[in-house]
Amino acid sequence: MVPSTVRANLKTALTSITGLRVMDYVPDSTNVPTNNAFAVIGQLSMNYDYTLNRGFDSATCNIIVMVGRMSEKDGQSRLDGLLQSSGSTSIKAAIEADKTLSGAVQTLRVVSASPGTITSANIDYLSYQYSVELIG
Amino acid sequence: MAIFMGNKVAVIVGTTTISDHVSTVSLNREVEAVTITSMNDTVQNMIGGIEVSSVSLEVFNDFAAASVNSLFEDAIGTKLAIKLIPVTGTVSATNPSYSMSCLITQWTPISGSTDSAMTASVTLPVTALSKSTSA
Repeated sequence: MVPSTVRANLKTALTSITGLRVMDYVPDSTNVPTNNAFAVIGQLSMNYDYTLNRGFDSATCNIIVMVGRMSEKDGQSRLDGLLQSSGSTSIKAAIEADKTLSGAVQTLRVVSASPGTITSANIDYLSYQYSVELIG
Repeated sequence: MAIFMGNKVAVIVGTTTISDHVSTVSLNREVEAVTITSMNDTVQNMIGGIEVSSVSLEVFNDFAAASVNSLFEDAIGTKLAIKLIPVTGTVSATNPSYSMSCLITQWTPISGSTDSAMTASVTLPVTALSKSTSA
């Protein structure tokens, strides 16, 4: 499993969601688009030696998705669409459409999504943190 | 040789190395204890009987051609040659190989759960076993 390839291919998968701006690295600062969503693919948490003889490793990748607050309702509605388990706006469906990430891993699963807030430049943004388990 | 980690075991089924699909493996060598306690004994007495060894594998299943599922499922009811080497690489006096013939008495082609990769956990009886320090 090559972490940079995993992140790049997760970014590719997420860009299938219309209007979702995606970064495959953690930025120093953010410019959250107003009334739209912004995703940051985080660093991988790696567990080595999932199988024998350096066969495969397992990893967890957290993806943070935040929305600009043109209005509270619009932001939450946008997050609701991303939170769905299926459909064209679903983050889970977009990532799991190709469970090998073009061959970068053996398999993956979007395990959970937890709500929260992200503060940037003294502005609170509504967010979700997605956890993706990968084996490869 | 010193103490070593158990994460480099080579698992070879027939001529196919399946180590990258195996998470745990163990070879249990055991002989039956045959009781020969007689009238004059004050403590039970035993001698070693025949060997009843077994090999246990925790395998991540894979239905790809010639991968683990076809190797084991196609062999149910027959015997497979399995070779284990403690540390993948050259077999030696300090890294001996164990070659065995195992009767495939069980296989679990499907064992699904929502939160984990599909695995098959099997314990297979060993019907012949040899230890080598050279091959």
